[in-house]
Amino acid sequence: MIRRLLLVVVAALVLAGPAAACARPRTSLSFLEGQVMCPTCHTTLDQSDSQAAQQIKVYIAQKIAACWTAQEIEAALVRNYGQGIIAEPSHKGFDLLAWWLPIAGVLGGGLVLAFGVWRWSRGGDDELPAAPEAGLDEETEQKIDELLAGLD
Amino acid sequence: MTGRLRLGAHVAALACVAGLLALLVWKLAHQQHAPPVGSAAPAFTLPRLEGGGSVSLASLRGHPVVLNFWASWCTPCKSEARVLEQDWLRYRNRGVLFVGVDYHDLGSDARTFVSAHGLTFPMLADGPGGVTGTYGISQVPETYVLSRQGKIVAHLAGPINDSAFTAKFAAALREVS
Repeated sequence: MIRRLLLVVVAALVLAGPAAACARPRTSLSFLEGQVMCPTCHTTLDQSDSQAAQQIKVYIAQKIAACWTAQEIEAALVRNYGQGIIAEPSHKGFDLLAWWLPIAGVLGGGLVLAFGVWRWSRGGDDELPAAPEAGLDEETEQKIDELLAGLD
Repeated sequence: MTGRLRLGAHVAALACVAGLLALLVWKLAHQQHAPPVGSAAPAFTLPRLEGGGSVSLASLRGHPVVLNFWASWCTPCKSEARVLEQDWLRYRNRGVLFVGVDYHDLGSDARTFVSAHGLTFPMLADGPGGVTGTYGISQVPETYVLSRQGKIVAHLAGPINDSAFTAKFAAALREVS
C-alpha cells in the first residue's frame, strides 16, 4: 500500500514538474519569428538566416525557456532595437495609415463594385441606341406587294 | 451623369498613380548614403553601452575621432577588435579618440563582446540603427576617421585588419593626429 502511494506521488511530481515550470502559457519561437523583424534584412525572422536574425532567435529561445511571455519578449526587443523590430505597425502616428488604408481600399472598391452592379441591374441598355421601329415604309411595302402579285 | 462619373474615375486613378509616384520619389530622395570624404560628419548623441549617460559627436570636437561601427553578431568585427584596441592604445596619447558604435544588437551580447575582446575605448549603443543610417552603414564593420574639425577624412567599409584597409587607416590616422 505504501509502495503504491509512493509511486503515485512520484508520478504526480514527474508529471507536475514541467507544468509547474511555467506559471503562464508559453509562447513559441515559431510564433514570434513571424512577429519580429530582422533589423538588418527588413524581413521577419522566419524568412532570414542572417547573423543578426540568428542572434535574436537564440535570445527569444532563451527567454521562452525562462517562461517569458510573448509581450515581455517583444518589449525587451523594443527596448534594444526600437519599435521597428516589431513587424506589426503601431496604432499611432504615420503607422495608422498601414491599418486604415487597406480598409479604405476595400470599402472604396466595394462601393465602386456595388455602384457598378446597381447600374447594370437597373438596365444598362439606357445608353444603347434605340432599336429601329418595326415595319416597312410605304414604298417598300408597295414593291413587295407588286412582287407577290407577280408570283400569283 | 455617365461622363462625369467617368471623369471622376479617371481623376481618382490619376491621383492614385501620382500618389504612388510621389511616395517613390520621396523614398529615393530620403535614401541614406554614406557621407562623402571631406564633408561634415553627421551629428549624433547616443547612450553609452555601459555605465549610463550619453555622448554627442559635438562634444568630441577638437579631437581627431575614429568612429567604428560594429555588432556582436558580426564575424569580421571579432578579428578587427584586437587591431582596433592596439591602435587606440597607440594613438590615444596623440589625442585621437576611438569611439565604437554598436548597432542592431542586443545590449547584453554587446557588453559580453566588449569584455571578451578587452576593448577599452568608449562604446555607444545604436540599437535602432538611426545614427548608423545617417552614416550609410550597410554592413559592419565600417570605420570613419574624422578630423579635429569634424570633417570626414577616410571611410573604410570593411574590417581595418583587412590588407586593403590597413594602410589606408594608418595613413588617415597619421594625417589627423
